[in-house]
Amino acid sequence: MAIKYTEKVIEHFKNPHNIGVIEDADACATEGSPACGDEITVYLKIDKRTDRIVDVKFQSYGCASNIATGSIITDLAKGKTIDEAEAITWKQAADELGGLPPVKMHCSVLAVDGLRSAIRKYKKEVKGIDYDSTLTVDAITKELEHVLWPPVGVDIITLKMVKYIGIEGGAVKVEISGGSDEKYLEPTIDEIIEHVSKIKGVKSVSVDNV
Amino acid sequence: MIYLDNFRGTMVAPEAWEAMRIVATQQYAVPAPFTQCGTGSAELIEGAQSRLAAAIGASSSEVVFTGSGTEAVNIALLGSVRAQTVDKPEIVTSEIEYPATLAVYRALEKQGYIAHYIGVDGEGRYNLEQLASVLNEHTALVSLMGVNHMIGTIEPLAEAGGIVVEAARRIGRKIPFHIDFASALQTQRLDVDAVHADLVSFSSNKIHGPKGVGALYVRKGTKVVPISYGADSYSPLVPGTPNTMGIAGFDKALDLLYANFDADVEHMRKLRDRLADGIRERVPYILLNGPEGPGRAASHLCYSFLFIEGEAIMMFLDMDGIVVDTGSACAAATLKPNYILMAIGRNHEEAHGSIRFTLSRYTTEDDIDTTLSRLVPIVERLRAQSTIRPPAS
Repeated sequence: MAIKYTEKVIEHFKNPHNIGVIEDADACATEGSPACGDEITVYLKIDKRTDRIVDVKFQSYGCASNIATGSIITDLAKGKTIDEAEAITWKQAADELGGLPPVKMHCSVLAVDGLRSAIRKYKKEVKGIDYDSTLTVDAITKELEHVLWPPVGVDIITLKMVKYIGIEGGAVKVEISGGSDEKYLEPTIDEIIEHVSKIKGVKSVSVDNV
Repeated sequence: MIYLDNFRGTMVAPEAWEAMRIVATQQYAVPAPFTQCGTGSAELIEGAQSRLAAAIGASSSEVVFTGSGTEAVNIALLGSVRAQTVDKPEIVTSEIEYPATLAVYRALEKQGYIAHYIGVDGEGRYNLEQLASVLNEHTALVSLMGVNHMIGTIEPLAEAGGIVVEAARRIGRKIPFHIDFASALQTQRLDVDAVHADLVSFSSNKIHGPKGVGALYVRKGTKVVPISYGADSYSPLVPGTPNTMGIAGFDKALDLLYANFDADVEHMRKLRDRLADGIRERVPYILLNGPEGPGRAASHLCYSFLFIEGEAIMMFLDMDGIVVDTGSACAAATLKPNYILMAIGRNHEEAHGSIRFTLSRYTTEDDIDTTLSRLVPIVERLRAQSTIRPPAS
């Protein structure tokens, strides 16, 4: 099947909205890394009285879908309160773009993660609300909801691919049922490790395909 | 459209298309004995066999036409290992082969064969010492390539072939040596004796012939069993009705390839260097992937543009009607960076920023200048948007 971008993705990629830096940002956060292929930084300017996002910008080291999602997600966040913006999902972003090829869904997840991280940083630093998740099976499950299975672009929790989550001290063990298609397995395992490693208290992550 | 992705596939030359049209509409009879039209079709195949054979220093009975380059690789590799009885068989190739070869090797590994993947240096040249060290009495097959499709490295085939022959002499039996010459055919001449090849695969689609046709050279005396079965044909390796239309197109494409071979290669080299010089002069923070100078195929150029991602560059060029390829993970269905760039020691970021330009004899100076004029602002723009900054100067 042809894997192609919608016209809306191309339009936002070509002429991304809100690209750039806010020098005196109230919060900024970076998600992803050049090693994993995409990295996005989101800058927020927030009206501290109303908690409303008055300006938002982003930078992207990434592909067309990462840039397009950064563009749409910052459009969606602008003018919203931080709570409203934090509730924006990657699915909303992808829907706004008229859909993304399944294999590219993780790029929209990354952009949404960038926005959320910036909001949570603001909440923690300015409002004193600590959002750092503690190491529980629930917290791990929540993180794994951001890991998509490339062939279908649906997260591995919804697909019931996660069979076991174990925590021993700071060591996390995740068992997934990923079949024998090695080409998707390896990048998915990398992504699981990357996501779980973000949780406070995690010292090591092992992933087994069972 | 400016098409700079010729290592993936080429335009069918108008003359090849005309040759195909004539076969499709006039000489469409299936090869058969005695009748005018049947023998005409048989002679068409024989003529094509003899012309390809003459070009590579072989005899015509050593050449068969296949359904693709990939099919030729499959017949060569599977057919030759199945024809041998080697105790605890081992098969040898490199880390940077074309996916067809690697896929066959992985399938054979699952069947119990032990595979050795030899490494390469920073420019993609085979580690020949490692090749020599892995050959032993269990070796059932060696498969290497003429020119690497991603980074354009011209591989030392004659030396590699010599090593295989020497190992075969030591163990007292033949070790079949297969060469994938698909990416090399457009710019490299081949003498099958000089490189000690037993099997060589070709693809029509890489030299302005049609898709769906390849060829396989099988040295006389090399044991290869069929991997598929069907009605009798001119060779048991390629059963069923021959694709005479495709063969006629491939034959014409070969004819055109060798008609002005040296001048065409020089044309590509000049334009490739014009593109390389333009990029070097106008774009900072780049890395050349593959060798500088004569060690690289004349039609090939692969640069990594640091601090940005290759799929975004490729998409912007695409919107301007310029077709290139990238080794970025973001452009791969598997989301993994190109394995060849990783094998030559590039890190993920350097692989993600790679763009491959592959030229053909139809590429013009205008094509190159237009590409440069579009590429430079695209790189500048993406760098201005990127989270990663060049080091402060």
